[in-house]
Amino acid sequence: MGTALTYTEAELVLGLKSRSEKHFGYLYDHYSPALFGIALKVINDENVAGDVLQEIFLKIWRSIERYDTDKGRLFTWMVNIARNTAIDTLRSKAHKQGQKVQELSSNSMGTEQFAVHQAVDQIGLTKVIEQLNKEQRIIIDLAYYKGCTQDEISKILDIPLGTVKTRMRNAIIQLRTILKQL
Amino acid sequence: MDVQRYISSGIIESHVAGLVSDSEAREVEAAIQQYPEIKAAADAVRLDMERYVQTWAVKPPAGLKQQLMARLNEIEKEEEVMPVVEEKQEKEEEETRFIMPQIPVLKMWQYAAVAAGVLLVVSAGMNVVYMGRADALGEKIAKAEEEHVALSAEKSAFADRYQQTQKELDLLKDPAFKWIKMQAVGKHTDIVATICWNPATKEAYILPQTLPEPPEDKQYQLWAIVNGKPIDAGVFQLGNMAKALQKMKEVTSAQVFAVTLEKKGGSETPSLDQMFVAGKVAG
Repeated sequence: MGTALTYTEAELVLGLKSRSEKHFGYLYDHYSPALFGIALKVINDENVAGDVLQEIFLKIWRSIERYDTDKGRLFTWMVNIARNTAIDTLRSKAHKQGQKVQELSSNSMGTEQFAVHQAVDQIGLTKVIEQLNKEQRIIIDLAYYKGCTQDEISKILDIPLGTVKTRMRNAIIQLRTILKQL
Repeated sequence: MDVQRYISSGIIESHVAGLVSDSEAREVEAAIQQYPEIKAAADAVRLDMERYVQTWAVKPPAGLKQQLMARLNEIEKEEEVMPVVEEKQEKEEEETRFIMPQIPVLKMWQYAAVAAGVLLVVSAGMNVVYMGRADALGEKIAKAEEEHVALSAEKSAFADRYQQTQKELDLLKDPAFKWIKMQAVGKHTDIVATICWNPATKEAYILPQTLPEPPEDKQYQLWAIVNGKPIDAGVFQLGNMAKALQKMKEVTSAQVFAVTLEKKGGSETPSLDQMFVAGKVAG
């Protein structure tokens, strides 16, 4: 990604475990957009999301010793930390269910405000947004970014509780089809 | 397990999207460990989600990295001074995560304790109430028993009375019995007593009727007189028996019946000056 210096994942992990700030800087440069994207989707407030992003990286820094390469890729591990940290913040702010939906739809539609910071392929993103129908997008986002339960999703989308899982499967199958085109 | 069916149920997607409950998540993780096909499906979904996450990537504000690195340096310094504390804090953070789900359990115990306390108080209160009621009931039972005893006595008294009355009625109905009305004799006036005698069976009864109550040491005695010769027919009582027919000694024959006042237990010969009533046998 435009940086002259590149590390393999193994090198990066080793560097982080040995508390190398240089490796940490590299980590930030490469992964902060993805993790900030998560924080922003969850929190929907750029200032709060910035604070959350710092928390996320501090957590990564503090717990990198416990990261086990056998358990999965570094990115998967960091994404989970980001998501949990952001959702915990969201919950501690005592957001209401109604707000979640409102934020989500406004967030889904109004990403233009962050367009300046957009790091990835803007065309690909637009394609995703266009091709996933609203319900499919919302079901993924409610679960993944808002940490909603099946029960909450059933109520928000007004669908039977028993069909939430199959709707989720259909949404991700559709997502996969779209991602293949990118 | 039907792996294909499991995969198509949507539980893997739901798990990766963080939708399922903790217990369901453990179940899915176990299935991933056990079935390579399920693991492959889960990995694919994870990749989808990561790519989806990437599509939402946004470059964070410019100054953020500097801020972060500054905080990192601070932390590092603190760690150098007291690494143990930092380590402990981390552990605490981790522990908090694990303790979190236990809080409702703790709360449940608190609720249970409160509920138990309330129940105890209610139960104690009820004990007092019911003990009071038990006392009252005990008293009632004792009273009822008393009443029962009294009623039984009354009942047996009535039964006796009834038997007596029945006997009297039988005598009345029996045509073999002769009824001899004895009138006051000499200085006595307004005294009546009646004899009921069956000459065939020799049974004799007396109905004292209006004979006055005798003194403590005296008793009335009945005599059957045949040809001027009195034959003892036994003594009888008054008091509560005054209105009842009392069975006397057998009387073989009699022309006249007479009652005299004698010493207690009766005399061999009548004190004629103490004759109260007498009546002639008809026919």
